[in-house]
Amino acid sequence: MKKTVLDYALKIRLPLTLFVVATTFVLTYYISRPERDGIGYTPQQPINFSHKLHAGTMGIDCQYCHINVTKGRYATIPSANICMNCHTLARKDRPEIVKLTQYYEEGKPIPWKRVHKVPDYAYFNHSVHVNKNIDCTSCHGDVKEMEVVGQVRQFTMKACLDCHRQPHENLPYLKQVNIGPENCAVCHR
Amino acid sequence: MNNSDKIKDDNKSYWKSLKAYDNDPEVLKLKQNEFVDGVTDEFKSSQLPDISRRKFLALLSASAALTATACTDYRDKGEIVPYNKRPENVSPGTANFYASTCNGCSQACGIIVKTREGRPIKIDGNTDHPINKGKICAKGQASILNLYDPERLNNPTYNKRKIDWSDADSNIIDALNKSQTDGKQIAIVTGAIVSPTIKKVFDTFTAKYNNTKIYSYDLLNDAIRRDAWFECYGSNDYPSIKWNEPNIILALDSDFLGSEGNYIENMNLFTQKRETLSKLDFNRLYAAEGRMSVTGSLADYRLRIPPDQQYDFVMALTNELLKKGSAISINSQVQAKVQKFSLNKFERTVGKEKLTHLVEDLNANRGKSIIHAGDTLSKDVHIAVNLLNEILGNTQIYDYKKTFKTVLPGSTKGDFKQLIASMNNDGVGVVIHFDSNPVFTLAGDFGYTSALKKVETIVALTESENETSSVAHYTLPINNQLENWGDAYVRGGVYSLQQPVISPVFNTRQKEAVLLTWINGKTNSYSHNIYHNFLMDNFNTEIYPRKKPFSDQKTFWLSALHDGVVTLDENIQPSKEINTSALLNTNESLSNGFVLHLTNSYYLSDGKFANNGWLQELPHPITKVAWDNYAAVSPNTAKEISVENNDLVEVNINGRNLTLPALVQPGMSDKTINIELGYGRKVCGDVGKDVGSNSIKLISKDSSISPFIYSNASIKKSSGTHKLVTTQEHHSLDDTFVKDFHRIRNIIQEGTVNKYKNDSNFLHHEKHEVFSITNEHEYNGMKWAMAIDLNKCTNCSVCISSCNVENNIPVVGKPQVERGREMQWMRIDRYYSGTPDEPIVSNQPMLCQHCDNAPCENVCPVNATNHSPDGLNQMVYNRCVGTRYCSNNCPYKVRRYNFFDYRDEFADAYYENDLTALVNNPEVTVRSRGVMEKCTFCVQRIMEARSNAIRDGRELKGSDVVTACQQACPTNAIVFGNANDPESPVAKLRDLNLAYHVLEELNIKPNVTYIAKLRNTHSEEIA
Repeated sequence: MKKTVLDYALKIRLPLTLFVVATTFVLTYYISRPERDGIGYTPQQPINFSHKLHAGTMGIDCQYCHINVTKGRYATIPSANICMNCHTLARKDRPEIVKLTQYYEEGKPIPWKRVHKVPDYAYFNHSVHVNKNIDCTSCHGDVKEMEVVGQVRQFTMKACLDCHRQPHENLPYLKQVNIGPENCAVCHR
Repeated sequence: MNNSDKIKDDNKSYWKSLKAYDNDPEVLKLKQNEFVDGVTDEFKSSQLPDISRRKFLALLSASAALTATACTDYRDKGEIVPYNKRPENVSPGTANFYASTCNGCSQACGIIVKTREGRPIKIDGNTDHPINKGKICAKGQASILNLYDPERLNNPTYNKRKIDWSDADSNIIDALNKSQTDGKQIAIVTGAIVSPTIKKVFDTFTAKYNNTKIYSYDLLNDAIRRDAWFECYGSNDYPSIKWNEPNIILALDSDFLGSEGNYIENMNLFTQKRETLSKLDFNRLYAAEGRMSVTGSLADYRLRIPPDQQYDFVMALTNELLKKGSAISINSQVQAKVQKFSLNKFERTVGKEKLTHLVEDLNANRGKSIIHAGDTLSKDVHIAVNLLNEILGNTQIYDYKKTFKTVLPGSTKGDFKQLIASMNNDGVGVVIHFDSNPVFTLAGDFGYTSALKKVETIVALTESENETSSVAHYTLPINNQLENWGDAYVRGGVYSLQQPVISPVFNTRQKEAVLLTWINGKTNSYSHNIYHNFLMDNFNTEIYPRKKPFSDQKTFWLSALHDGVVTLDENIQPSKEINTSALLNTNESLSNGFVLHLTNSYYLSDGKFANNGWLQELPHPITKVAWDNYAAVSPNTAKEISVENNDLVEVNINGRNLTLPALVQPGMSDKTINIELGYGRKVCGDVGKDVGSNSIKLISKDSSISPFIYSNASIKKSSGTHKLVTTQEHHSLDDTFVKDFHRIRNIIQEGTVNKYKNDSNFLHHEKHEVFSITNEHEYNGMKWAMAIDLNKCTNCSVCISSCNVENNIPVVGKPQVERGREMQWMRIDRYYSGTPDEPIVSNQPMLCQHCDNAPCENVCPVNATNHSPDGLNQMVYNRCVGTRYCSNNCPYKVRRYNFFDYRDEFADAYYENDLTALVNNPEVTVRSRGVMEKCTFCVQRIMEARSNAIRDGRELKGSDVVTACQQACPTNAIVFGNANDPESPVAKLRDLNLAYHVLEELNIKPNVTYIAKLRNTHSEEIA
């Protein structure tokens, strides 16, 4: 039987091309996965603030700064005046604190880089979760050990739903926990 | 010539190389062929080796590109910027509420403004306010858009050129002083003033510049009622009416439930006697009117009487009732005057039976009935009505505690005639328009505009460009009501305060502060809190001593601001005896030709709200026309002058004419033309410019009956048409196919009080077998449901307006409404039954019914709409691909599709700007092109209530959630809650015998229950 160009193309070229494309895709998909989900995203902040020092070594409670976390949707990034509660006296001479004081005195807000973000169409509510005794670390990782805060877990719809569907596995420290709602309108409206 | 030829032809050859010189055969051969073998062959990619260099590079770059796009560095997530110093009590994501007072009209309702991160996003009524009790009108709801109007003025101008405030101030102060020394008048032209502190500013202004005169004018006002009251009782302050008390109400061309007085308060009180859940103690409403008003559409008996015959009617009624006795003594002169009138004349048009019922009811309910004349009727009618109420002993229905007060009496026609004469004689130096637009609202034949030309300095204090500012020298931009300080004193014992909820968005100033600066005479005396201090001082001297609180001045001021209202004990004495001889000077005013009745627009006020897209697009409560006004005529009249809907007609009275489209309105009296005011603005923002026709042109300064009613008008068909757009198709009442379809299909189910008393289950006699082929889903926890009491729904459309603001509903514009693409999640369906002459009007608010077996859910190919375990029909915008199958399969037609990105599409992206974007509710997605949307039962409010319940560690209750429409409904006709809680109001209403679902037989199990309307007629049949 005569071998045609078509045979060649279908039997060898096409599978080969598909294989190359698929491999490239699969490889890039998995290799880039954490980056796409933002895992490991650790941006340089305008002030070199250390969570390890404040939350870890000194043991300041998360809610001392993130005051709104039990009250509303946003945990809130502390306003500069909260920092100044201590730093009007503490370590005034350190270069980073000098920067902070400058921001504060000039009345300029500090342009912190955003680390964690859910899309605009998802209405995540901090207070609902924290008031159910879910620990901050369950989503944000062990911030107490981070010099510079970075993202350690996925913030995807799958990640939300995994936990909502199997809270016992994902939040083993909670003795009593209900299955989270999984209907659309809980997050999307 | 090539090389070889050269060699041949020319022996004198030049050598290029040694070999060539040697005539090497190979070189000779090469010389013959310029290119080596194969190079000149046709290029064929198939002949190339398998992995060519090109292909290799292509593959390499493709995979590199793929990797590059997927594997760049982390996506930047932007910045998250906290406050530098966080304002106390403001936290991101949590709303703050401030009590204030609405400036929309002279009723000055108490409002609560919801702000998020410092920007106002919603206005609702103040629940502590004793008059409006937590409710406001559709205009008040939508007025939030005016704050973010892209065409607000943002700088002072002199002859259209930008100038500084200080320059404007100093020039105007000079002009004021010059006018003072020249002995010329300084005129302040203002709208109705309800603020005692503004009055004090005027007094101080007049003390400084004592040539000043204040002119207060509003197109729509209660002047006629007040004048009549003054003639009868010698007092300018007239009492309000306890609408929740009378058993019988007769409204004479009065739209007290739709647009007159404080209609929000009125309908709230009125519907307290329309309660079906507890007791069945209904009032009975008779409406005698020529047009079709909201009040008329709600009446149990509607009597078609044109506005010019109202005097005859009320006199004839007085005659009839006086024969049966009187609560006051009537002298013989009055008696003789009354005796000339007889009801017989009305028997033909109204019907004898209705008249007999009316007379009997009024006679049987002496002291428990009320007759109310409309704002537009003549003073004579009002005087006759006052007398009739006295004869029937109805004065106990008057509420003197809530008397309508006068802070600054309105100016009369005579005042304006004098002003204009003075202007024409160069006697006026400065005219200050204090947030008023007399060039538009004053009757044209005053000649105000031409007289203004003689004035040296014209100042317009205004929020946005209007007809008056366009002829003014100085246009000074003023604050929106949400940026203002203020107070109001409209009703006896109710003093309400206004506070700013946002600092001025533009370079604007509070109008009172501008006057105070001029009073001081120094431009540098202005500061942003100059009027704030003035107001506070006035409060401390006037209100504080009267209230005598235990707290100090500052604390009391702050607590008053917090509450928004201070109630004072006022000793208001009921009026003295009526001066019955006032009736002797009254006259009838009959016309032979057509009678023109100008009435106020339901949503635009006097044109003030013309640039508000939400209000322009809100369908008229009866005709459902949006974006237009029209000449409404009865079906018979339309036949007589042979016009149909949309045909242009010319209306003429004494040479003043107006051409506008006609609309055939069932139920109007014949030979009556009804036109709404407030349309046809010429100098206005893009939204309101040239929308509708300016019917103020038809008003005359020398009106004989009232400025709003003209006899001997003429109307004729003009050439051409103008398309009116409606949100509900007109089905002609005589079309046999669609006639009474809503009753045949049980969409509207109604009964009468008598029928219900005899047979409480009358709605459910015809049972239909409904069955399902699948197992029913069980709802064990919460189940959200709504009940709408049609006995209480007055068609006011406040729910729609509130929903628009809450849920970021876009304005689509007239061409899109024409295609049926309006985006309002709620609509109020209006159905006519009966005959074109005597139609019965039924209203039905229609919104997503959140059906248990929702037909829309089954057909969505991408599962973008589905059901939640608490009974919500969810709509997920991100999943929606816009097939519109759901809308096609929805039997209620409540789904709305974004054919465009409407913020971008409407009027060249009018609302697509950074300022207007601030009006959006941050808790609700702004939908883009290509997605379906619909009522969500305010899921954002449900979620907020849920998170609050979790925060407080309690169970979520149905009563925790109040939807936007429910919160806004002035009559509390909308009830929302948990249907699975038998104690909840919504569950009780669902169990009521009067409850029904629309299109029940489809077995889709809707979760909006309607309570059938009961009409309080004498028989078991609907009149």
